[in-house]
Amino acid sequence: MDWMRTLASRVKALFNRRVRDAELDEELRAHIDLAAEENQRKGMSAADARTAALRAFGGVTQTRERYRVQRGLPPIEEILRDARIALRQLRRSPGFALTAILTLALGIGAVTAMFSVVNTVLLKPFAFPDQGRLVVMREVEAQEHDGRIEVPDNYRHIMRLKNTAKTLEDVAIFQTRGLSVSPSGDRPNIVGAQQVSPNFFHVLGVQPALGRDFLPSEAKPGADHEMILSYQGWQSLLQGDPKAIGETVRVSGAAYTVVGVLADGVRFPQIALAPKIAFQEAARNVEIYVPLAPTDYDLSADMGGFNYKSIARLKPGVTLAQANAELEGLQQAYTLSAHLPLHLGMALTPLAKDVTANISGALWMLFAAVGSVLLIACVNLANLQLARAANAERETAVRAALGASGIRLFRFRLTESLVLAIMGGATGAALAVAGVRLLVAIAPKTIPRLDEVHVSLPVLCFAAATSIAAALVFGTLPALRSFRVSPQSALQTNSTRVANTREGRRTRGLLVAGQVACTLTLLVVTTLVLRSFSHLLRQDRGFDTSHVTVAQVDLFSPQYGDSESPSTFKANKLAFADRVLTSLRQLPGVKSASITSAAPLTGETWVDDLQRPDHPVPPAEEIPINVRWIDQDYLRTMQIPLVAGRNITAGDRANPMVALISEQTAREGFTGENPVGKEIGDIVPDAPMGVRIVGVVADARVNGLRDDAAMVYIPYWAFTPWTISFLVRSPQPSEALIPEMRRVIWQTDSKVAIPSIKTLDDQVSESVSSERFQAIVLTSFGAVALLLAGLGVYGVLAYSVSLRRQEFGIRIALGSGKGALMRLVLRQAAVPVVLGTGAGLLMTLLVLRWVRSLLYQTPVADPVAIGGSVALLLAAAAVAAIVPARGAASVDPMRALRMD
Amino acid sequence: MGEQKPDVLQGTLDLMVLKTLESMGPLHGYGIARRIEQVSGMTLSMNQGTIYPALLRLEQRGWIKGEWGTSESNRRARFYTLSRIGHRKIAEETENWMRIAGTMARFLEETN
Repeated sequence: MDWMRTLASRVKALFNRRVRDAELDEELRAHIDLAAEENQRKGMSAADARTAALRAFGGVTQTRERYRVQRGLPPIEEILRDARIALRQLRRSPGFALTAILTLALGIGAVTAMFSVVNTVLLKPFAFPDQGRLVVMREVEAQEHDGRIEVPDNYRHIMRLKNTAKTLEDVAIFQTRGLSVSPSGDRPNIVGAQQVSPNFFHVLGVQPALGRDFLPSEAKPGADHEMILSYQGWQSLLQGDPKAIGETVRVSGAAYTVVGVLADGVRFPQIALAPKIAFQEAARNVEIYVPLAPTDYDLSADMGGFNYKSIARLKPGVTLAQANAELEGLQQAYTLSAHLPLHLGMALTPLAKDVTANISGALWMLFAAVGSVLLIACVNLANLQLARAANAERETAVRAALGASGIRLFRFRLTESLVLAIMGGATGAALAVAGVRLLVAIAPKTIPRLDEVHVSLPVLCFAAATSIAAALVFGTLPALRSFRVSPQSALQTNSTRVANTREGRRTRGLLVAGQVACTLTLLVVTTLVLRSFSHLLRQDRGFDTSHVTVAQVDLFSPQYGDSESPSTFKANKLAFADRVLTSLRQLPGVKSASITSAAPLTGETWVDDLQRPDHPVPPAEEIPINVRWIDQDYLRTMQIPLVAGRNITAGDRANPMVALISEQTAREGFTGENPVGKEIGDIVPDAPMGVRIVGVVADARVNGLRDDAAMVYIPYWAFTPWTISFLVRSPQPSEALIPEMRRVIWQTDSKVAIPSIKTLDDQVSESVSSERFQAIVLTSFGAVALLLAGLGVYGVLAYSVSLRRQEFGIRIALGSGKGALMRLVLRQAAVPVVLGTGAGLLMTLLVLRWVRSLLYQTPVADPVAIGGSVALLLAAAAVAAIVPARGAASVDPMRALRMD
Repeated sequence: MGEQKPDVLQGTLDLMVLKTLESMGPLHGYGIARRIEQVSGMTLSMNQGTIYPALLRLEQRGWIKGEWGTSESNRRARFYTLSRIGHRKIAEETENWMRIAGTMARFLEETN
């Protein structure tokens, strides 16, 4: 107890020491005064009284010293004193201090912000127990042209494997989609939902925090109206009601009973149906889980219904390769024994790897960019510190001559570096917090788990470690010199001559060259990514997005039935689409209004194989096509030109089995033939006959900006799907049009959901959000690197010029011209910059091979990108070098010669 | 500055200070030093300055409290008071001291 109070008191005494010292002096003075007064009262003279008082006291100075040592914590006070001196010295050279702190802060801030994202998205594991055994299962189809491609799962195939495979403990099958959910049934919202087999949570190894898991009996039509809410869903749909179990929520108009709620940490990652297929639904966070009740079709079909995703838990001790081999064998055996006209296989991917498969390349590239920025920053600091240490060598020599030990000198330099590192680190941490907010704000929503990103404790530790490591590296190197300093030699020579030795100059030149090389590589990569991005946006996409607004509508509610419902429900969907189209066309200013089954640029959907009754081929050779359900105004609204044949007309309504195909479909499916008049079989659901091609339209990148797709357009009169989009071309501003469109749709039926309504231009911009994110982040890193490289060149050159003032003075006095002097300095700067550029080009060659896969139709050996980057870098270096060069030329010879 | 006088055992001085404050009430450093000199009948001669590290030690432990006040001659001075802990500690420390003194006395008698 006593020692704790003592320690607390000593720590407290570290603060306001000046006040405490004054109080001590006052107390001691009072003692002497009181003693002298008493002595005087006893009859001594004033002077004698004082002398006697002092003698009785003993040593005032010794007492004061003993008191002060005992009052505080001397080792800490010494460090604080060093830090104070360091601060004072830094304040005396604010240019150096600011450059160093800013350099450090930029490096640390960028690294921490980026690391926060990488940490959450790539490194942080999910909360599933023993998740190393969780694998995503995808069927593989061997195709004639494309080789083996991964496809979504067929229910029947997965169930067979679940029952026969010996390497798997259990398999859960599921489907992710948006479901229209509403408390009352009116104006529903689309929320992320997962239809899961009842063993889904068991496979993952989690239990609902409230209520119960699904029961095996609930995977049957009619018994499947239960739901488990994710924590988010519980919060947003039921406001976190603790009595949620037993509550009713309406899904697509039907009443579902809440049976369970998941804990906060349990989140199932977004898994793509197949690598090439990306649904917009996939970006939503899952709020509800409902049982997956297989239809009769699911249970019987071998060749269709590839609509599912599966996740399996391997048996303990089973390797991925073993499981892969067994499942591949089982699939092949089944393909043979069931005489399937396909070559099926199986691909297993570890869960964690699958989730990040699409974005890890881009994120690692950003991380590498950030790493090189930090590296450049550290090189900058090292260079600044080296120059500074050389400058301080004379001072060090004086201290050594006055008796300071090597350790003491070393510690002082280290303290100075630490002070810088702490200030830079703190600024960097603040920058990191702001940076994470910025990154999350501009990052595309398709990056998984982005909502979980924040500056977390491990990230802060990472930042602290980086800053302290940087401080030690660039602080110890110069500080170690203080051991070697021999006071005589340092004092005898002129300090500046010591500092500007050939050795020191070479080291600093090499550091500048390294920095220039890193910067050039980063600049080239940035330029290439920017060019790739602008190419993606600028190239001809085959349709016109301006002045078009698109509204997505989901018809998942009882009045529209499902794929098993009788045909009256189909008439309801058709009638709804007709009524909405009629009302949209009547809105003021509308040039044209149209329907399509998938909003443009939302990825591949409704992928089917092209079947030609007149020219049958084995299923493996059929080409994949995208089917879209449209009307006669689609081409006009999208401005897609007709190439051959005729457009769909209102006259086709009576006999709607007609189709338009895109040029790519014509090229791939009707090579060397005229497709107009030909038939495509088995393409309209529930229709025995095929469709007749009446026209060919130009290729358009309606699925995504990256590629054209083989399209088949069929009028919605033949079939109206449950997800449709209305397209409206109108010169009206979208702010006025969007509410009007929403009103028209809900006037027709208030029970349908409108998952999104926006302009096509916005849709374009959203579809390239991850590319834009990359471009913005890389550009800012490139700019930071360029700035740092400029600072590096400037710093070293300015320092060297300041050391050579005397020499320049002599040269000027001897008649050297200003131009000659500037050339001299610029030549000194040119050597490391040119060397660095050469090294940077070599480094770029190595890096580009790896960057190639991340670029879109952009050759990596792009002379504009490489030449432009070199030019930019040289320009920045020239600007950075000109300032000190002018300084050298303007040296006043009289003053320079009088120095030192 | 001043001739060196023999140091007083640390614990001894602490206990003397505590006892002085107990009997005299609030007192400044000079007062405490004078009182100790008087009571010990000048047999114990010490540097008065020695009192201050002892006062700091006791203050750090929370046994005494120092506050600024005015002396009888109107001089500003720091006055020390026993704290609650200090009051409690006196008995303990006295007992400790008696035991050591007793042991010491017996030891000296035996070996004489």
